[in-house]
Amino acid sequence: MATAEALANDTNLDAGQPASAYSTPRMESFSYDDDICRKFAVATLLWALVGTAAGLLVALLMVLPTMFSGLQWLSFGRLRPLHTNAAIFAFAGNAVFAAVYYSTQRLCKCRMWSDVLSRLHFWGWQAIIVAAAVTLPFGITQGKEYAELEWPIDLAIAVVWLGFFGVNFFMTLVNRRERHMYVALWFYIATIVTVTVLHVFNNLVVPMGLWKSYSVYAGVQDAFMQWWYGHNAVAFFLTTPFLGLMYYFLPKAADRPVFSYKLSILHFWSLVFIYIWAGPHHLHYTALPEWATTLGMLFSVMLWMPSWGGMINGLLTLRGAWQKVATDPVLKFFVVGITFYGMATFEGPMLSVKSVNGLSHYTDWTIAHVHSGALGWNGMMSFGMLYWLAPRLFQTRLWSQKLASAHFWIGTIGILLYIVPIYIAGLTQGLMWREMDETGQLKYPDFVEVMPYVLPMWWIRVLAGTLFVGGVVLMVINYFMTWLSRPAEYQEPVFQAPALEKKTLPREQPKPTSLDNAPVLGFGKWFAGWQQMAWHRQWERLPVKFTVLVTVAVVVASLFEIIPTFLIRGNVPTIASVQPYTPLELAGRDIYVAEGCYNCHSQMVRPMVAETKRYGEYSKPGEFVYDHPFQWGSRRIGPDLARQGGKYSSYWHWTHLDNPQAVNEASVMPSFKHLLETEIDFKKVTDRVIAAHRLGAPYDEELENAPEMARLQAEAIAADIVSQGAPVSRNGVMVLDSQGVALIAYLQRLGVDYFKPAPAEPAGAEPSDTEGQPAKSPEADEAESTASKESDTTSLVSRL
Amino acid sequence: MLKDVIRAIDYSDCAEIALALFCVAFALMTYATMRLSRRATHRFASIPLSDTPEDPRDATKE
Repeated sequence: MATAEALANDTNLDAGQPASAYSTPRMESFSYDDDICRKFAVATLLWALVGTAAGLLVALLMVLPTMFSGLQWLSFGRLRPLHTNAAIFAFAGNAVFAAVYYSTQRLCKCRMWSDVLSRLHFWGWQAIIVAAAVTLPFGITQGKEYAELEWPIDLAIAVVWLGFFGVNFFMTLVNRRERHMYVALWFYIATIVTVTVLHVFNNLVVPMGLWKSYSVYAGVQDAFMQWWYGHNAVAFFLTTPFLGLMYYFLPKAADRPVFSYKLSILHFWSLVFIYIWAGPHHLHYTALPEWATTLGMLFSVMLWMPSWGGMINGLLTLRGAWQKVATDPVLKFFVVGITFYGMATFEGPMLSVKSVNGLSHYTDWTIAHVHSGALGWNGMMSFGMLYWLAPRLFQTRLWSQKLASAHFWIGTIGILLYIVPIYIAGLTQGLMWREMDETGQLKYPDFVEVMPYVLPMWWIRVLAGTLFVGGVVLMVINYFMTWLSRPAEYQEPVFQAPALEKKTLPREQPKPTSLDNAPVLGFGKWFAGWQQMAWHRQWERLPVKFTVLVTVAVVVASLFEIIPTFLIRGNVPTIASVQPYTPLELAGRDIYVAEGCYNCHSQMVRPMVAETKRYGEYSKPGEFVYDHPFQWGSRRIGPDLARQGGKYSSYWHWTHLDNPQAVNEASVMPSFKHLLETEIDFKKVTDRVIAAHRLGAPYDEELENAPEMARLQAEAIAADIVSQGAPVSRNGVMVLDSQGVALIAYLQRLGVDYFKPAPAEPAGAEPSDTEGQPAKSPEADEAESTASKESDTTSLVSRL
Repeated sequence: MLKDVIRAIDYSDCAEIALALFCVAFALMTYATMRLSRRATHRFASIPLSDTPEDPRDATKE
């Protein structure tokens, strides 16, 4: 033990503290609340099974799209969000909570502040997950990736996350018995603060009833907010808390301190400063202003170094303990997890470089990258932690070390078997989509031509997924058997420790410097004291101040990107010919969102030769000003739809929705025949128009006569469809009353406004700040011509 | 007036300002971290190794 005098001489601890600053501490008794850790650990395991099984199901749907014969609740578009939400918020979320509750109590040497809040948090979070699992298959969604849950659930998330979890955590920090806040706690603080900010601002919506809402942001701004959220959900939900987990559980499992505490501090601040800027790299070559994507790319590349610093710090913590890795399944999981962290955090910056992203974006490459991180980093770290926790939480031996080792190998092989073929599939897609023949034309003009090449890879993914799920099943068995051998009553050791002094400690004084008596300016003396950094040591033990500083770092960085994106009008030049959707198209857009079409189709033509040749004129920011929410998507299992309007006849769409394989044998789209057999509620269209009007769409007659206008447009489209051979009704539902017609109305509108002449402005009106009407390309002329020839809808749109 | 101010802002500067801010903050944190003594880092790094609060590591108890 160091003496008070020795401590006083150590400027980096509590230098300058007079002994009188502390009074004799009062001894207190306490015990750790392991019951809540048991609850979260078991929930983690159960949701791991659900999340990975859902992933296996959607992987199967990609190779067997007709598996459920068009049953709407089990379509890919509805189940994929269920898989991602279950994996991220249920599996990884519960793992984070298990880690936080276990480690925080021990790092703070105190019980969680409130047992009631702990349990409200646990049951509240499980209720949220169940609500997600129920609503998503019913098509109740906001239509934004990883933020699909509707507003009542979002409100519940905010309450449970901040009100229960956050308050409990921060009050525990305030009441801790350990003066220094260990670095894992810093990562937890950053997680709680940033996820709150991201969740609240990305989910600002205008509700329309209990289960429907519309983002207050539109088009470009909505895309920016979504990927500011989406990328930082990865950063602050799937990275920082798991790094906290690593910095606590890895030293515990290896029984040695972290290799470099200094490196862990640098790791923390680097991530907090850098991560928040990186979101726009998800939108390279889109309608987002280039300055924003360049900024995102720059900071993404900078992320590589601190991330690898963290990985190296983790791996070197095992120095001198590698012999344990050979025998201890826990360390095996941790080593592979940290290695995948290094792989994913090298690949992430690489994918953010524009030239690489131009190839990889929208392809399976991104999917492989995501699963390398999610299964490799989050999955393996969670499993390692759970195996380490099992004997401690159940106070008995782990039932089978062999089964745990088997899980490790099956899981690792499963991950490798997943990512390798999907990387190949991604590269295949990217290269085939852009390949030209010797005449300068697309070598594979039809989107589905790539399918025969990637389908074998997708089948291997099914096998890999089966292995990974199999590993989770082994773990469930192991956990269950361990639980069975638990003692009749858990022991709860009682500890005694002095409370920290509640009174504010006197500000640390820097130790004397050589400049104190030197003939230099006062500033020099002040700087000599300041550079001893005693002030920084103080921050690290003041949780409120520390939290405020992390919040400032995150918010300031966000505002540097958000303010210009929202306030500078030049970022989104309006296009005079782009008009609001008609009432029927609005209804169709709701169906598009509910069915999760964005999970397979993008609506963003990038300014690349291969894309403009395949899809038409590249997308402009002003084309999306009425899109609440934006539907740009992030992958292309099917072709881009940004210029879909007028490309095919309404009858073609009708047939395609009914049976995609009848239209194109190689299609992997499921049937949406239920849309042809379900009626639209025309009365509800009025509410939809009012919501759009509140969000800025300049409606007039539509506010009064929305149902009539919608019906009129539906009749025109239905007449077109029936005239080409479709039956007048199907299962008792007239074509003109079907939801399919509304969806077709929306699809026929996509991307056509840009080519229309701008409406004449009233005499004397101030000229608007618009993007110049483009000189039409031959493709544009063709698209417009096709639209006018093939679709009555388009002309009707003009009239409406 | 606000509209004029907003329009007058050269938002392309935001990237440069952001980068400068980051560099300053990062340099400061790096410097602060490097000033940490070996004894302190060893003690902080050892915190997770013991669950029992025999040594609560409050300066008063050393």
